[in-house]
Amino acid sequence: MKRLVLAVFVLVALFVTTGFAQTLTVGFTVSNTGSMNVDSVEQLHGFELWRDQVNAAGGIKAGGKNYKIQFVSYDDESNSKRVQQLYSRLILQDKADFLFSPYSSPLTATAAIVTEQYEKVMLTTGAAEGKTYTLGNHYLFQMFTPGAEYLKGVLDMLKTKDPKAAVAFVYEDSSFSVSVVNPAKAYAQQLGFNVAFSEAYAPNTTDFSAIIDKVIASKSTVLLGGGHYADGSTLARQVYSHKVPLKMVTLLVAPDSPKWGELGDAAVGVIVPSQWEPQTAFKAQYGPSGADFAKAYAGKYNTPPSYESAGGYACGLVLQRAIEQAGGPDTAKVAAALNATDITTFYGRTKFSTAANEHGLQVGHAMVLAQWQKDKSGALVKQVVWPLAAKSANLVYPIH
Amino acid sequence: MILRRPVFWLILVFAALMAFVPLHANNVSMREDLILVAIAIILASNLNLMIGYTGYVNFGHIVFYGLGGYVGLYLATVRSWNLVLAALTAGLVVSLFALALGMGILRLRGAYFALATIGVLQAVQSFVANFDPWGRSTGMYVAFDAYERLGGARHALWTTYFLVIGVMALSMILSLGIKISKFGLGLFAIREDEDAALVLGVNTTVFKAIIYSVSAFLPAVAGALMFYKNGMIDPSIAFEFMLSLEGIVMLMLGGKGTVVGAALGGGLYEKLRSYLLTSPKFSNFQLVIAGGLLLLVVLFAPGGLIGWLYRLVPRARKVIE
Repeated sequence: MKRLVLAVFVLVALFVTTGFAQTLTVGFTVSNTGSMNVDSVEQLHGFELWRDQVNAAGGIKAGGKNYKIQFVSYDDESNSKRVQQLYSRLILQDKADFLFSPYSSPLTATAAIVTEQYEKVMLTTGAAEGKTYTLGNHYLFQMFTPGAEYLKGVLDMLKTKDPKAAVAFVYEDSSFSVSVVNPAKAYAQQLGFNVAFSEAYAPNTTDFSAIIDKVIASKSTVLLGGGHYADGSTLARQVYSHKVPLKMVTLLVAPDSPKWGELGDAAVGVIVPSQWEPQTAFKAQYGPSGADFAKAYAGKYNTPPSYESAGGYACGLVLQRAIEQAGGPDTAKVAAALNATDITTFYGRTKFSTAANEHGLQVGHAMVLAQWQKDKSGALVKQVVWPLAAKSANLVYPIH
Repeated sequence: MILRRPVFWLILVFAALMAFVPLHANNVSMREDLILVAIAIILASNLNLMIGYTGYVNFGHIVFYGLGGYVGLYLATVRSWNLVLAALTAGLVVSLFALALGMGILRLRGAYFALATIGVLQAVQSFVANFDPWGRSTGMYVAFDAYERLGGARHALWTTYFLVIGVMALSMILSLGIKISKFGLGLFAIREDEDAALVLGVNTTVFKAIIYSVSAFLPAVAGALMFYKNGMIDPSIAFEFMLSLEGIVMLMLGGKGTVVGAALGGGLYEKLRSYLLTSPKFSNFQLVIAGGLLLLVVLFAPGGLIGWLYRLVPRARKVIE
């Protein structure tokens, strides 16, 4: 009899404790396969670390209740073809309360068509292209600094170091790179730089010698551009082996990867605009410090976090704060809380535009610039060199 | 007479079911699944006209779908045309483009033709990636309020769905119509022995160019509808080589040269991929399973599922064409 009473007691206790914590479902797709696999999975790790930490702390506390987080996700195969099918499924069958975006701008734009018609909040990360936010949405919120801002910091920095520099743009002919380089070109001219050369190359280009010859002939002193890892690393290697007399090389995305160090001397001095670096010491008003995040991340995944991972974690953090402020998971209230968000976390400042013609566009977050430098022992490390307030080392300029 | 063919009525019943079932259940998830099935059937059926009927392997078939998407999206968004008119115009423009192109490249045979189709795909992709009015490599986006003209996004997506189902039914009827026509016989003659067909008076170059152009029309219309629904288009999405290859796999699976086989292959392949992808058990190794199953089909049922059915029930040949 005693045992029976004990068993009933335990069961009731279990029922009561689980009854207190409700569950919120967050849905998204991940590129488990396909060309965006590496970046997308890093983003996923950011999401997962956030979820695990929230659940370990008892869930999100809002309006006197505790909400545990559960994820539902599918493989989008890095392909927009299936994204609408999967996001419809997440909303209608899996009853997701909130959504995170897939990785990359085209996939996010496609998912947004579905999330908007069901009036579901979607926080987007890993999607820098700004066009999607100008199409009249109400429930999209962008975590990444828009593509148009990527190279502005480099040009501002260059203006202070060498206002007479001759700039060459050599970039991948892809949606992302073009959306970054076009506004940068206009900004360079606005700052009074001589844009001496500009050429887009086909994705998957492996031989840059013809373009490099043109860069040399144009007497450019600074090279900006690149695209993704494969082409960016090849370009850097060939620029180095051709001994092009450049004072500065800035490439998109690729040099952010820890793998970049494997290029050896060709990697030295290359700058990458980054959404976040572990060294950036923002004073977090909410959530963990940068160091705590990096430590927890490295402890779980045995690798340092990339800016995709940081974006993923920050995405969760911003959603968490909005739910807390809204006093629960009501979509309209959470969207209003997100609209009012202006917060600094370990990831930097986050503020969304509330203008009708660019709703949800990220207007608070600023890029940092990281440069590959040799430390005292001669090992290659990435140092933050811009903005000056967040720098961990001085810019090396010229690099040769 | 096409009306006397049981398959014709089967196609109509099938299309009506595809349209009615998700609407009746008001099930958007099912609709999203079925629209991909319909697209697969459209692509496979039209590719069948080239590969199954004429014996010419077209690796670049997806170029019609992508180009149709571009022309349609441009007309429907930038020029604010009615969606149906934009899609039909896209079909027509792409068909004419295919006709002109076909007169040139269809003088090539066998592997040379197959290689040329890959070249066409690459060339068109490069052109579009550098074409300003279509947004170069950043592509074109549909504004959320563009769907208002069709009664809001929810309504617009249903409308596009029914249109795609219509195009699917037309694709299958077109396949059947050509199969039982004299023109179709000419194509089969080309497939079996092109030189003999020439001697018998079949103008092979013109026949091939016409079927190449016809096989472009409905995929282009479907592309216009699908990318409108998708909300954006860029060259990497529009001209995906993998989708061209998948079309060939669908035909192998269902049985090339038959009306039902092409549709069955397209539908089954899409359903299978979709199931494996979302299944909690298989999603981690979905590509391995899909690949393994296809290998089994190619090894043990080289005529595809329909070929296997014909062997099992020879009389089925009369009903299931």
